[in-house]
Amino acid sequence: MRVRVDHARCVGHGRCYVLAPDVFADDERGHCVLRVDPVPEALRDQARLGRDNCPENAISLEGDPR
Amino acid sequence: VKNRNPDPETGRVNLFDPEVAADPHPVYAVLRSQCPVARSTFFDAPVVSRYEDVVWGLRHPELFSSEMEKQMALGTERPMIPQQIDPPAQTRYRRLLDPHFSRRRMEELAPAIRSQANELIDRFEARGECEFDSEFAVPLPCGAFLSLLGLPLSDLGAFLEIKDDIIRPGRRKGAAILPIPEATAIRAEAGRRIYRYFEEVIDDRIASPRGDLLSSLVHAEIDGEKLSRSEILDICFLLLIAGLDTVTATLGCNIAYLAAHPEQRQRLVRDPSLIPGAVEELLRWETPVTGVPRIAKQDLTLHGVEIEKGSIVTFLLGAANLDDGHFSEADRVDFARERNIHLAFGAGPHRCLGSHLARMELRVALEEWHKRIPDYAIKPGETPRYSLGIREVMYLPLVWGANA
Repeated sequence: MRVRVDHARCVGHGRCYVLAPDVFADDERGHCVLRVDPVPEALRDQARLGRDNCPENAISLEGDPR
Repeated sequence: VKNRNPDPETGRVNLFDPEVAADPHPVYAVLRSQCPVARSTFFDAPVVSRYEDVVWGLRHPELFSSEMEKQMALGTERPMIPQQIDPPAQTRYRRLLDPHFSRRRMEELAPAIRSQANELIDRFEARGECEFDSEFAVPLPCGAFLSLLGLPLSDLGAFLEIKDDIIRPGRRKGAAILPIPEATAIRAEAGRRIYRYFEEVIDDRIASPRGDLLSSLVHAEIDGEKLSRSEILDICFLLLIAGLDTVTATLGCNIAYLAAHPEQRQRLVRDPSLIPGAVEELLRWETPVTGVPRIAKQDLTLHGVEIEKGSIVTFLLGAANLDDGHFSEADRVDFARERNIHLAFGAGPHRCLGSHLARMELRVALEEWHKRIPDYAIKPGETPRYSLGIREVMYLPLVWGANA
C-alpha cells in the first residue's frame, strides 16, 4: 500500500499525525509529512484512519481495497 | 401565530434569535433539507448550510473572499492579518505564523494551562457551586492567550473589557444587541485601546526581546523583509479577537452538554483517554462558532438560488457538522467516532490558526475539571443562557457535592 499526500490541499488541520502518528508526522508549519511509504501491513489501519479524518481530503492510499 | 424560523417558503432565517442560540439543531435541519441557500434576516444575505457546499465555499477564496474588513467593522483601522486577507498574500503570513501555532508548540504550553486551570478550580471547588462562564470559561483562555504572547496576567481584566467591547458591544452595559452606530462607536474606541496597548508592548520587545511570540514577530522576516509595525499590530488585533471568545464559548458548550448528559460525562470520568475524541465530537455537536462570513466575488447560482456579487455569504459550520449526508449517525454523540471531519475550525486556506491551541486548552480543561469535579449538574431551577452569534454560555450555574 502506497500513501500519497496532496500538499496543495493540506492546510495543517493535523488530524493525520495525531491519529496516525506512525504513518504521518508534522513539518515545522504543522503540515503533513510521511513517516513511511509504502505502508507496512501493521500500520495499514492507522493509515486509513489518517486518510479518513483529513478534512481536506488530501490523503490517498494506492492499492487499498477499502 | 409565531413566525416560522426558518420559513421554508421564503427561505428566510433569523440566526440571531435566542431560541436558535440555545438549540440550533432543529433550525439547521430545516435549512439543510428545505433551503440549502437560505436568506439571513440579519444581513439580508445568503446562508449556506450543507456540508459539501460549506467546504466547497471555504476552499475557494477566489469565489468567496475574506477581505471584508469594512463590512465587519470590528474597530480595526486595517484588515486583520491573516484572517481578512486572501491568498496569495495570506499564504505568506500563514507561513510565518503557522510554526508559532503548531501542535508541537501548543503542547509546550499545556503544563502552564494545566496549572492555571487548577488555580481557577481552587477558588470555588469547596463552595460546591460556581458560575462556569465567569469563573472558568472566560479566565482560562485569557490566561492562555497572555502566556502565549508573553504578557502579564495582571492585564487580564483590561483584555476582557476590550474583547467584550469588540465582540459584544453593549454587553458590559447589559444590552444583548445594540443599534449599529452605537456598536460601531464602542468598537472603534476598543480598537484604539488595542492599538495603543500593543504599540507599547512592541516598543518594549524591540528594546528588550524575550522568548515570546511578540518578540518573534518584532524580529520576524518575510522574504528578507521585517514586518512593519502596522502588520504586527494587525496580527495582534486578530489574536485578541479570535483567540479568547471562541475557546470560552466551546468550554461552556462542552460543560453544559456534559452537565445535562451524566451518562456521557461518566464515560469520560471512567476513561479519560476518551477526552481527545470527546473534544472533537463536542466541537462537531455544539459548533460554538456557528458560521463564518465571506464576500461573493462574482454572481453565481447555487441550488437554484442567485448569490449576488458583493453579498455577505454565511457558511453555516454548525449546520454542516450535523449533515447526515456526510456523517454517519450525525444525530448521535459518539466520543469514539472513527471518522470525524467536522468543520468547527473551518477548512481551506483560512483553517483556524489557533486550532491546535484550542484543542490543547479544551483537552487540558476537560481533564483537570473532571479529576477535581467529576459529578456536577446545572443548578436546579436555573437555565443556561446562550449568547447570539458565537454560542457562549454566558450564564451557566453549576452545583456539585452536597449541593447537587
